[in-house]
Amino acid sequence: MSELASHGAPVIELRDVVKTYEGGVRALDGINLVVSAGDFVAITGPSGCGKSTLLHLVAALDSPTSGTVLVDGHDLNGIRDLSRFRRQQVGLVFQLHNLLPQVPVVANIEVVMFGTHRSARQRRARALDLVEEMDLGGRQERLPTKLSGGERQRVAVARALANEPRLLLADEPTGNLDSESVVRMLEVFRKLHSTGVTILLVTHDNSVARAADRRVFMRDGRIVENALTDVT
Amino acid sequence: MTFLGFSLRNIWSKKARSIGLTFAIAIAVMTVVTLAVTSSGLEQSAATIISIGKADFSVAQKNVPDLLSSVIDEGELRRITQTSGVSHTVGVLVETYHLSAATPLLIEIGIAPSDLIPFGVSVVAGHPYVPTATGEVMLGWRAAANFGLRVGSRFYVNGKWNTVTGIYSTGNSFGDSGAMFPLSALQTYNRVPGIVTIAFVKVAKGINPTTVERRIDLDIPQLTAIRTATQFGRADRNLVYLKAAVNGSTVLAVLIGAIIVGNTMLLSLLERTREFGLLRAVGWTRRRMVRLLVEENLLLALFGAMIGVALAFGVTSLIEQLPALKGVLNANYTPSAFARALFTALAMTVLGGLYPAIRAALLKPLKALSYE
Repeated sequence: MSELASHGAPVIELRDVVKTYEGGVRALDGINLVVSAGDFVAITGPSGCGKSTLLHLVAALDSPTSGTVLVDGHDLNGIRDLSRFRRQQVGLVFQLHNLLPQVPVVANIEVVMFGTHRSARQRRARALDLVEEMDLGGRQERLPTKLSGGERQRVAVARALANEPRLLLADEPTGNLDSESVVRMLEVFRKLHSTGVTILLVTHDNSVARAADRRVFMRDGRIVENALTDVT
Repeated sequence: MTFLGFSLRNIWSKKARSIGLTFAIAIAVMTVVTLAVTSSGLEQSAATIISIGKADFSVAQKNVPDLLSSVIDEGELRRITQTSGVSHTVGVLVETYHLSAATPLLIEIGIAPSDLIPFGVSVVAGHPYVPTATGEVMLGWRAAANFGLRVGSRFYVNGKWNTVTGIYSTGNSFGDSGAMFPLSALQTYNRVPGIVTIAFVKVAKGINPTTVERRIDLDIPQLTAIRTATQFGRADRNLVYLKAAVNGSTVLAVLIGAIIVGNTMLLSLLERTREFGLLRAVGWTRRRMVRLLVEENLLLALFGAMIGVALAFGVTSLIEQLPALKGVLNANYTPSAFARALFTALAMTVLGGLYPAIRAALLKPLKALSYE
């Protein structure tokens, strides 16, 4: 089963998506997937199964070889200003936090708000709110190099949420964290989920995947299982 | 944080690169500004020679390497005087004399005492020399002060002792730093009887000086009339060459600077590939990326221009102290010299930085993020 009905309106819809890289490597092979508003979905599977590729297509960081990727009902192929889409519609969290080392925590969050309607004062206020929300109070003026791995990843989440996206996409966000930080990061995701944010989380770690409502298991570029997470 | 603050922070975080680039820009700006203010100062110094006195314009030999090589003989001086519209002509011989290591270029002006008033010379102490005297001299008030001489002092110049008969003022520093001799005495000492360097022309009342200038230019084609500093190049070719060299140096400085900036920026692009990939991934537009890099470069250009101008002040004042130029060169800091500084810095960074900025903007976010 590749699709599962859900309670909200579809936020992400992949229809017969194929992605073939140069050299003929078929990373995605006819993917059909619907993620609805408010869902917390974990994409899981072994290395090289295509889960990160799927996330990149949804984030408009890459385009499919064939098939359609719809976000909020809009075909990404038809969107001219993908920068704007990425800025407004999605929040991205990477395995490596990818923070700017030269600016402090608060500026790392503010930087994604350039080009939005917010003034400098509003950007700072929003960034400081997120710092508090991510339990990073007192660290706002620290450089990323002065933070622990878990703290850096929470800054990355704060940055992803800065423009209040409806969709949070996280690619192995716990991949480089110790177990205590993983627990804390999952608490953050659950808290975000409870506020209505739709989350698509890519992980190879089953314990992390269990934090989601739904688990999509991939192998060799195909979805082999799409099921509600067993909470028992 | 403002966008400008972000740009400044980026510059500050890459100190070695930023200092290196700022230094390169500063050196280019310093070179260009020093050349510009030096040549402008030399032009001004030279122009003061032609503007001494109350003349409407000056006449000198055309296309000589420098003004002091100009030769006007008695016949030509007479023809100038006889030109329609000319009221009065004063022929002046200008020479230089190596007085000492400290004063390697003493300006000597040979002029008849009767021409002193038409020439605009005020005798402020003592009296003028006798027209036919061979051992008398008048000193400009600056020269007298520099040498510690006064009326009645003995002054060794032109191979003999001369008596200082008077101290004069012309109202410009170039003239007041020199010495005046009877015209015939200076001509004899320099073995140029009947020769003057420049003729100062006063036109008759109600006559347009330009009309008279044209007549002289047409009637005596080996001579040229000069009224303004910009016309000075008609007589003094050195100044024309110097100005051409200044313009050439500016172009060269911009090109070399642009290559340095471009090279450094391309290296920086490799260093910052992941950062640029991230910014693109989180929604920065290509235009914003270009703006960031151009803004960073413009800030460096401004810093470089400021430092370059400050260095130019220092270097120029050192050049002014060179014995060969002391008293002759007075640096002329014109607005155009500062505009040239800004142009050099901006042109270097825009030309050198644009290609790397565009390349950064065209980076594929995913590829850039995975760059090692």
